[in-house]
Amino acid sequence: MTPAFDKLQQHLKQLPGLGYRSSERIALHLLVEKPARLPALVVALEEAARSVRRCACCGNLAEGEHCAICADERRDRSVVCVVEQVPDLVAIERSASFRGAYHVLHGKLSPIHGVGPDDLNLAALRARVESGEIAELILALSNDVEGEATCHYLTEHLPGGRPVKVTRIGFGLPSGGGVLYADSVTLKSALDSRRVYS
Amino acid sequence: MRLRKLTLRHFRNVGFAALEFSGRQHFLVGANGHGKTSLLEAAGFITALRSFRTSEQKQLVMLAQHTAAISCAVEHEQQGDTQLTIKLRHGDKELWCDQTRVTRLADHLGKFPTVVFSSQDLQLVRGSPAGRRRWLDLTLAAMDAGYFRALQTFTRALAERNALLKSGRPADQELAAFEQTLAPAAATLIELRRSGLQVLAKSLEASYAKLCDGAEPAGVGYDPNFEEADADALLARLEAGRARDVQFRTTLVGPHRDDFHFTVKHTAAKEFGSEGQQRSLVLALRLAQAAWFHAKSGVRPVLLCDDVLGELDPARRRRFWSAIDHESQVIATGTSLPATAGQPDGELGTWQVFRVADGDFAEEVAAAEAPA
Repeated sequence: MTPAFDKLQQHLKQLPGLGYRSSERIALHLLVEKPARLPALVVALEEAARSVRRCACCGNLAEGEHCAICADERRDRSVVCVVEQVPDLVAIERSASFRGAYHVLHGKLSPIHGVGPDDLNLAALRARVESGEIAELILALSNDVEGEATCHYLTEHLPGGRPVKVTRIGFGLPSGGGVLYADSVTLKSALDSRRVYS
Repeated sequence: MRLRKLTLRHFRNVGFAALEFSGRQHFLVGANGHGKTSLLEAAGFITALRSFRTSEQKQLVMLAQHTAAISCAVEHEQQGDTQLTIKLRHGDKELWCDQTRVTRLADHLGKFPTVVFSSQDLQLVRGSPAGRRRWLDLTLAAMDAGYFRALQTFTRALAERNALLKSGRPADQELAAFEQTLAPAAATLIELRRSGLQVLAKSLEASYAKLCDGAEPAGVGYDPNFEEADADALLARLEAGRARDVQFRTTLVGPHRDDFHFTVKHTAAKEFGSEGQQRSLVLALRLAQAAWFHAKSGVRPVLLCDDVLGELDPARRRRFWSAIDHESQVIATGTSLPATAGQPDGELGTWQVFRVADGDFAEEVAAAEAPA
């Protein structure tokens, strides 16, 4: 349309989840339909860019040195749930069923996508294990080839001398769901990880 | 399983076609390039959402069109009357089974079995190992969810390991991380390929004997790249072979390099088999595949014969028809009705004949002669 508009649209289109049409729509919305929203958005972006960073301890989003979870005294820091991405952490938090701490790897091993161990937040995890504060690591990574490889790599590279219990989250039927509608892969893992009923 | 209605829209060179099948045997007759094979291709597509002619889905959509659709009414031994609809867009396919969208191939695979007999099948004897592996994978995965799962895991883990080897910076620990998932999946594949091929070999031997009047023994044998179906043994082998793998930048050992071979009179058919022997072998292999599908699922596959019988002599043609299961639905194509070539075969019963011209399929009402 105009050079400046096209440039803005190009930048928006590079964002994840946005295609040509949606970037065009957002650009039009901000510039023409609701220009009043623009200054606030710019300020919010700048502020977030200035203050949001990775938590020095777990890799979660933080505004200070530590994230809200690591700073919370009531959380059990001896049980650490290892996840791939921040949204995974948010999902587990929303379930309100976990009161321990987290560790975010920011990815999983995938040579196809050029992701190696150096790209993951592993050094900080090793340091946490070495410090002796961790009694149990819960591996909540996805159960695909890359997730399993990352779990294997991670457990093989824990510092020795510290007894840490390593567990893997279960994979099975969704709550409230029946056997009938589950796919065969899910049913297999549900059967594999069955437990004694008492 | 029987196909009762088949509708195509913008599929290959067929703009629109709606065929209603009655009875068990159907013959499509017409000149080359008018859409006979396209119709069989569409019928075969419902099994694994793959074409037996191409892996390029783009080629399936008619030129200058965006979407192609296959729709069929199926009479099914287990699921009753079922309506399947497949929509093909460039690079995308959608499957609907009785108005419900099926999103996982694993949930569909093998439920609607078809077996295609095509002149390209000769490549299974003469061609490269990759073609034979593809056939074996499709045959086994269609009937065994465990095989399909192992194949998916193995393929993915192998791709990751090879990407690591190609990156030029493979660390042993990283290779080991992917070997952990690769080896058990590979062991499953080796074991299931071995047991599957044993069953298929027996069935092929029986079919071949029927096709050739029992004159000579025939068989298939498994040539695994790594013999032991044991994850720990393969893990050790992968570890020992890492240096070589790094040098060649690819994984040199594993079921991705498996093969199988055909024999006639205990000698290799690829090198020493005659044209006729090789043709009979692939027909016997397809018959074995059909028997395998039926035995494993209890569903009789629809047999799709793409102009294969024209290449056989009358005696073999007759024996071919007597070798197939007489309950299975057969859809065959040819450039002429063999009956008019002077070889009617009374045992075959009545065929429903469709004349094919320019993507148009017209049922020939008066056709009572039987193609042989």
